[in-house]
Amino acid sequence: MDTSCTCPFTHVGSAVLFASVAVPLICAALLYLGSVPKMVAKVMAAIGFTVPLVLALYLCTQFADAVKISGYAFYSDASLGLPAAGISLKLGLNGIALPLFAMAAIVSFAAGIYAIAGNQDRQQLYLALLLTMAGGVLGLFASIDIFFFYFFHELALIPTFIMIGIWGGTARRVAAIEMTIYLTLGAMLVLAGLVALYVGSGIATFDFITLRDYLAANPLSLVTQKWVYGLLLIGFGVLVSLFPFHTWAPRGYANAPASAAMLHAGVLKKFGLYGLIQIAAPLLPDGVGQWTNLLVVLALGNILVIGFITMAQKDLRYMLGYSSVMHMGYAFLGIATMGVLGLSGAVIMMFAHGLTIAALFLMADCVEKRAGTTEMASFGGMAHETPVLAALFSAAIFASVGLPGFANFWGELSIFTAVFNMNHLVGALAVLGIIISAIYGLRASAALFFGSRSAAYEKRIAANGKPADLTFAEKLPILVLLGALMFVGFWPRSISDSINAEMSAKYPAAPVQQVVPSAAASLSQDGDVALSGERKF
Amino acid sequence: MTRTLLTILLSPLCAAALIALFGRRRGRLSAAISVASAGLQAALTLFLLVGGGWDGSTFRDTATWLTLGELQIDLGFYFNQMSALLLGVVTIVGFLIHVFAVGYSDDDKARGRFFGGLSIFMFSMTGIVLSENLFMLFIFWELVGFSSYMLIGHYLTDVASAAAKKAFIVNRVGDFGFLLGIIWCFWQFGTVSLAELPQALSASPVAACTLTFIGLLLFCGVMGKSAQMPLHVWLPDAMAGPTPVSALIHAATMVAAGVYLLGRVAFIFNPQALSVILAVGLATAFLSALFAFGQTDIKKILAYSTLSQLGFMVVAFALAGGSEGAATSQFHLTTHAFFKALLFLGAGSVIHACHHEQDIYKMGGLWKKMPVTFVTFLLATLAIAGVPYLSGFFSKDAILLLAKHANPAAFWLLVVTSFLTATYMGRIIFVAFLGKARSHAVEAAHESRPDMLFALVILAIGAVLAGYTGLYPHALASYLEANIAEPTHAEHASMLLISAILSLGGLLAAFFIYYRPGKNTDTFEKAAPGVYGVLREKLWFDNLYDWYVRAVQQRVANLVAILELVVIQGVLVRGSGGVAGLIGLAARRAHTGSLNTYFYWFAAGVLAFWLTTSGIL
Repeated sequence: MDTSCTCPFTHVGSAVLFASVAVPLICAALLYLGSVPKMVAKVMAAIGFTVPLVLALYLCTQFADAVKISGYAFYSDASLGLPAAGISLKLGLNGIALPLFAMAAIVSFAAGIYAIAGNQDRQQLYLALLLTMAGGVLGLFASIDIFFFYFFHELALIPTFIMIGIWGGTARRVAAIEMTIYLTLGAMLVLAGLVALYVGSGIATFDFITLRDYLAANPLSLVTQKWVYGLLLIGFGVLVSLFPFHTWAPRGYANAPASAAMLHAGVLKKFGLYGLIQIAAPLLPDGVGQWTNLLVVLALGNILVIGFITMAQKDLRYMLGYSSVMHMGYAFLGIATMGVLGLSGAVIMMFAHGLTIAALFLMADCVEKRAGTTEMASFGGMAHETPVLAALFSAAIFASVGLPGFANFWGELSIFTAVFNMNHLVGALAVLGIIISAIYGLRASAALFFGSRSAAYEKRIAANGKPADLTFAEKLPILVLLGALMFVGFWPRSISDSINAEMSAKYPAAPVQQVVPSAAASLSQDGDVALSGERKF
Repeated sequence: MTRTLLTILLSPLCAAALIALFGRRRGRLSAAISVASAGLQAALTLFLLVGGGWDGSTFRDTATWLTLGELQIDLGFYFNQMSALLLGVVTIVGFLIHVFAVGYSDDDKARGRFFGGLSIFMFSMTGIVLSENLFMLFIFWELVGFSSYMLIGHYLTDVASAAAKKAFIVNRVGDFGFLLGIIWCFWQFGTVSLAELPQALSASPVAACTLTFIGLLLFCGVMGKSAQMPLHVWLPDAMAGPTPVSALIHAATMVAAGVYLLGRVAFIFNPQALSVILAVGLATAFLSALFAFGQTDIKKILAYSTLSQLGFMVVAFALAGGSEGAATSQFHLTTHAFFKALLFLGAGSVIHACHHEQDIYKMGGLWKKMPVTFVTFLLATLAIAGVPYLSGFFSKDAILLLAKHANPAAFWLLVVTSFLTATYMGRIIFVAFLGKARSHAVEAAHESRPDMLFALVILAIGAVLAGYTGLYPHALASYLEANIAEPTHAEHASMLLISAILSLGGLLAAFFIYYRPGKNTDTFEKAAPGVYGVLREKLWFDNLYDWYVRAVQQRVANLVAILELVVIQGVLVRGSGGVAGLIGLAARRAHTGSLNTYFYWFAAGVLAFWLTTSGIL
């Protein structure tokens, strides 16, 4: 047992990072303990959601000048008495984790404020579960130790199931069960892969830094790398709704209570992509290329097949659920390129998508609260009654279709650029997504807010009066989410510089074809659909 | 210099932000902020062009916006004589239209949103003009599309909402190619900077085929934004927006962005690409002029006229390519901006006075009620028809001259189109402005407010004089004169004669065909209903696309959605549970069984999938 260390924090930043993960979890624990007056529960939840946001923003400002230990700023190492198993609670943020950590804090805050202002039954339990999710998602991006990376994911995942089961929509039982089975299975595959790494490396540690340094010097055999990476790819893929393992997502989100959908679709789902970028690819560099073809095909499935399915949706929540699946295809394509540009694009995409989809699910809930339905055909012309909701919804839709001025654009642009260089045809097919998403996105906002009223909407107005516009408590989280998107949209370097520095260190300049390929090469490439499976970097 | 350009670029953005924050319920305040920002832009532009703020040399300044791996995107200005010309057009015409819009929107309940949209548009359009590289240009390109969407859909009606959606999506189709072209450019030449591309192009040998591809992909963007066939369908529908918007965005400036882009990247097009562009431009110019005869909505007629004139500009570029093509097309762009903005504002003045009546066969006799509107509209009509010594004459002449030297077939097609132009414009004059009033609303019409007339008069001066390059600021005049072919003396006389015959002949033809005071049927429709029907239906382009969207795209989407439900969710997940449920029937009840098997079969499926796919590898 390690008792030598009295204080695991070397710097203020380390303590701040630790606190931002711990505070929501402590608040959650207190709320689990016993029933408290409603007001007290709300205040505690507000603390649990606000503190991480403030601390995360503080960390963002400190990152550039912070002391980095093995590439991680705000490093702390709290031994939990498991050194024998090679496990200790190591927290820290590198350039990739930082923007995602900030995104997690922002979405948690938005979901939290919305939940506090809402009026669910058993609100105390609802808030406690949501705080647990928040602590989980913050912890997973802050973890250096692979065990805790996995642990925090599970910590956030279980409340998701419970929340869908208790507060979910009409099909909540099926949705919760399907989601539980799928995600548990995905997580099991991931666990198998991670254990294989633990065992395969032969040094029996879950510490990412140690593993990384050891495997850089003593790489695993190609066969081992291939199979372990394959296991992780499918496992993580299921968790991120990689086509065709996506069916849990739309139904799950359509039936999840808003705050849970925001946190899961926005943040928790990014666990898989994050794992591939941050853990699997760096530790198994030679395994990655073996799976490029498959990954590209499946990712195009996400973009094109799911894109078309999204167009056919009639319910707003399902539409959003499918669109979220579609956008994961871009991130997977970015990962498939295995270059600085594509991977960085994937990280920006994750950041932007998290904020966007959270805002959209929140507004879908606002729509449902006012109308009792999210069937898109039963609306029309609602902008006359709810102009602010209409404007913010349209803004979020435009963010999700990749309009410049929002962070999403930078993610898409870098991914498209990288993918086009990998293969022209795949690049062209991926860019088709910008048309598909514009079609379903604009259709949805037109169906809800513009044009003339549908008969169903007239009937509702006759029965319940005109719907009210957004309240302050609804507006605030949306504005925070969209504000962050626009901030990065106008000033991409606020997150791209740290991502670029980290990626460039991980993936030194690619020597393959690139930059100015000869005309002949680009021509032959044009007609050549096959991908280079054996990419080195 | 950077500071001046930055102020020009950002002042409308600040205006839009202020309106979004404070102007939602304060229409007057929003209008004031928006007009002030447009005024500031125009004043600073005048300072640059005539006030000595700019010495006429090419100016470039950049700052890094984003770096990821090999990709570096700069934020910067690339300001040369061509961008100076368009900047002048955008800010001056833009300011006048802002002034007009104040009066036009006096009964609009969502005035804040309207002026906010106009300001976002001015920001984006200025961005396109000043962009230093293609990525940055693409960003503003998309933003222009967004502001266009917002303003077309301004009235929130079914028609407006559908038109807005159509405009954005059709533009996205163009942008799909455009973006691919930019990305290809980036990997091919290692840069997308407009200043560096020419050197990169001459330094690295590129296969002709690749270059043609890149050129045509970039041209896709032009086809979307400048509404070239077959992506033209959004522009006539866009007339659902408020008329000042049609004047500013869908006539004078935004739709010209495509033509401007051609000029900006003129060096990239090789002869193969140019020949395709020429064909597209000719088709657009000629067919749109024909379609104009089948319309009775004054704004739709003008919209098809805009399409046709955009076709002229594209043809002008494609005939010569390079800096000569660029300058000739920019010249026509400039004169067109004045007379077409004036035509739309004149139409707006009429529509405003007639309580939103837009059918020319319900108008008539307006010249007495609205003399200033009539005179200015007439001047613009004469200008677009190419009557000698008005602005349109000079710029169209330059195009005809190019065609005469380069491509006789194109020349004759343009000649016919010019004649048609004069005729369909004459039709508006003879039906809507002359003759007798055909409805009560028109009888009660009266002249518009003085501030609206102010904009009309200034634009009318432009429509008359914009062809005289000698009146331009020195840098612009020397740019146009150096790059546009001068006719020889003999040519000069013959071109003058041709123009006079075409324009006056066309107007005369319109008089004989269409001048029937009091009658409210179209003479041409009566004489040849079959041909008229084809023109009214615009060769069924829209019907074809509607059919595609409804019957092909949506059905495929529904089919894929059903397949997903049946194959992936049903057979692979549930169905496998059902089959296994039969096997295990003895062991458990059906409904719990399906859940268990659901799990196992899924696991088996994943494993099998993984094994087979990796086995193939």
